[in-house]
Amino acid sequence: MGRKGRMGISHSSSVTLGAPTYIFRIFSVFNVSTQLNSTRVAREMVKLCVLIAAVSLLPILCLSFSPENPTDRRVLVLLDDLSLKSSHSIFFNSIKSRGFDVDFKLADDPKLSLQRYGQYLYDALILFSPSTDRFGGSLDLAGVLDFVDSGHDLVLAADESASDLIRNIATECGVDFDEDSSAIVIDHKSFAVSETEGDHTLIVSDDFIQSDVILGSTKVEAPVLYKGIAHSVNAANSLVLKVLSASPSAYSANPSSKLSNPPLHSGSAISLVSVVQARNNARIMITGSLDMFSNRLLRSGVQKAGDSNKYSKSGNEQFVTELSRWVFHERGHLKAVNLRHHKVGETDEPAIYRINDDLEFSVEIYEWSGKSWEPYVANDVQVQFYMMSPYVLKTLSTDQKGLYHTSFKVPDVYGVFQFKVEYQRLGYTGLSLSKQIPVRPFRHNEYERFIPTAFPYYGASFTTMAGFFIFSIVYLYNK
Amino acid sequence: MARSTSKDAQALFHSLRSAYVATPSSLKIIDIYVGFAVFTAIIQCGVVSVERGCEKELEITVREREISKKMRKVVYMAFVGSFPFNSFLSGVLSCVGTAVLAVCLRIQVNKENKEFKDLPPERAFADFVLCNLVLHLVIMNFLG
Repeated sequence: MGRKGRMGISHSSSVTLGAPTYIFRIFSVFNVSTQLNSTRVAREMVKLCVLIAAVSLLPILCLSFSPENPTDRRVLVLLDDLSLKSSHSIFFNSIKSRGFDVDFKLADDPKLSLQRYGQYLYDALILFSPSTDRFGGSLDLAGVLDFVDSGHDLVLAADESASDLIRNIATECGVDFDEDSSAIVIDHKSFAVSETEGDHTLIVSDDFIQSDVILGSTKVEAPVLYKGIAHSVNAANSLVLKVLSASPSAYSANPSSKLSNPPLHSGSAISLVSVVQARNNARIMITGSLDMFSNRLLRSGVQKAGDSNKYSKSGNEQFVTELSRWVFHERGHLKAVNLRHHKVGETDEPAIYRINDDLEFSVEIYEWSGKSWEPYVANDVQVQFYMMSPYVLKTLSTDQKGLYHTSFKVPDVYGVFQFKVEYQRLGYTGLSLSKQIPVRPFRHNEYERFIPTAFPYYGASFTTMAGFFIFSIVYLYNK
Repeated sequence: MARSTSKDAQALFHSLRSAYVATPSSLKIIDIYVGFAVFTAIIQCGVVSVERGCEKELEITVREREISKKMRKVVYMAFVGSFPFNSFLSGVLSCVGTAVLAVCLRIQVNKENKEFKDLPPERAFADFVLCNLVLHLVIMNFLG
């Protein structure tokens, strides 16, 4: 929800910055026209004024009609070395071509700052600076974590030279890099075939997470080339997901020295690429290989050892592109709007329900496609009618156009209830809606009167009354 | 120890009857009134117990139900359940209360009860009427 607020602010500020400059231009044109004092020129100027006014209004109109936009716009890339800009240009260009405003800076740039006057200057941060011990400017570990805590996205790539700072950032995100600084991932079975025998540190992996949301609907066919360090996900952190795991034969050790002790990290417990979706819907991607994004690996062919399939291009480009789409909220971002409820047969939302009322509940859920809000279709969205525990739990049915609805009976219990929609699905941003509604008991005059079932009892009561009357007369007048 | 025979029972009933004949008529009227109250109470409790059997019967004979559908519906509705429990309670308690008050009146106006020999029967009857008024006021309120 923090994300929503932030986007709202950035829109309004760009409108207010834009308008005064246009107005100033219009006034300056008026000044020129009065000085020239010629009717023909004046007419031309009026036309120009109308044109400028229309043009100046255009962005304001466009902005005012554009829907809320959760995709990141401004990306800051921190590099150790500006040569990375050209060696990883395919990845950066794919981001730029998707409409992102990419800003490259050296990690030790003394003017480095993520925010100014309390406003963040960027929506996402890419840390391609594994060996940086200390960021320049005012940025530090806490600054990066605050950036994420306020709902912004982070891509972190390390390699064998990973500094303590980078390792600490990863640890704070629930990912532990191998503590042995000389160890890298080695795999003697699932390595990439090359002309030279090598030390089997350029490994291939195709053990992807099964999620269309995170990796896109088209399957990554070719395996991904990886050269870097291992990390494990913190078991206590339920928000971290392994997106790319190593093969069971992989282990993490120093390739140039003899293996004396069993490796700390081995097998498919090694995570090569992990993602985190925080509770504020900030997304983080962490990998131990900066080379995975490089042009060299993106362009190279791949053949897995012991496998006759030879792919002319590795799966890296598709993998990193699709993953960056997810991280930058171009996919899997849900919003729920128009939570409505009313009694069956009515349209207005009541301030209070009575026990045993029949009600209808509806909510609209949309998914951001990167350009527009598309209806979200699923059959597992549920609503709870909740007072300390759910009294009613109903699965909502959808009309395939984003509207989810159901109807149910208010339970025979009065108190302050809530309509709750808690929707957490792999890869999607979490939805957590609640709306409070009180439920009252029957009013005194709402109970049934003169129930046919009770007529014998009515009869008996009146009979005893009449009996009392007759008895009194008989008793008093017998003598 | 003498064996009891039917003759003994007859003798017992006979002595009871002859003793009861000597009872003043005002006390006999009270006894009839108590009998009426108890009878009404039993009918109502019977309604609740009969209702169970009635339900069963309804399930068994579908054809019969169709024949006398309307009549049965009325019977069923009248006999079903203690659902308006407040009505049921007030119906039964009005009978019980009536019987209890009548018995109290009988104790107080009986000349043989030495305990109440100072209490005039008019005063006893006035108490009885007042208590009955209160009872029926409560019953009417609770009847729903």
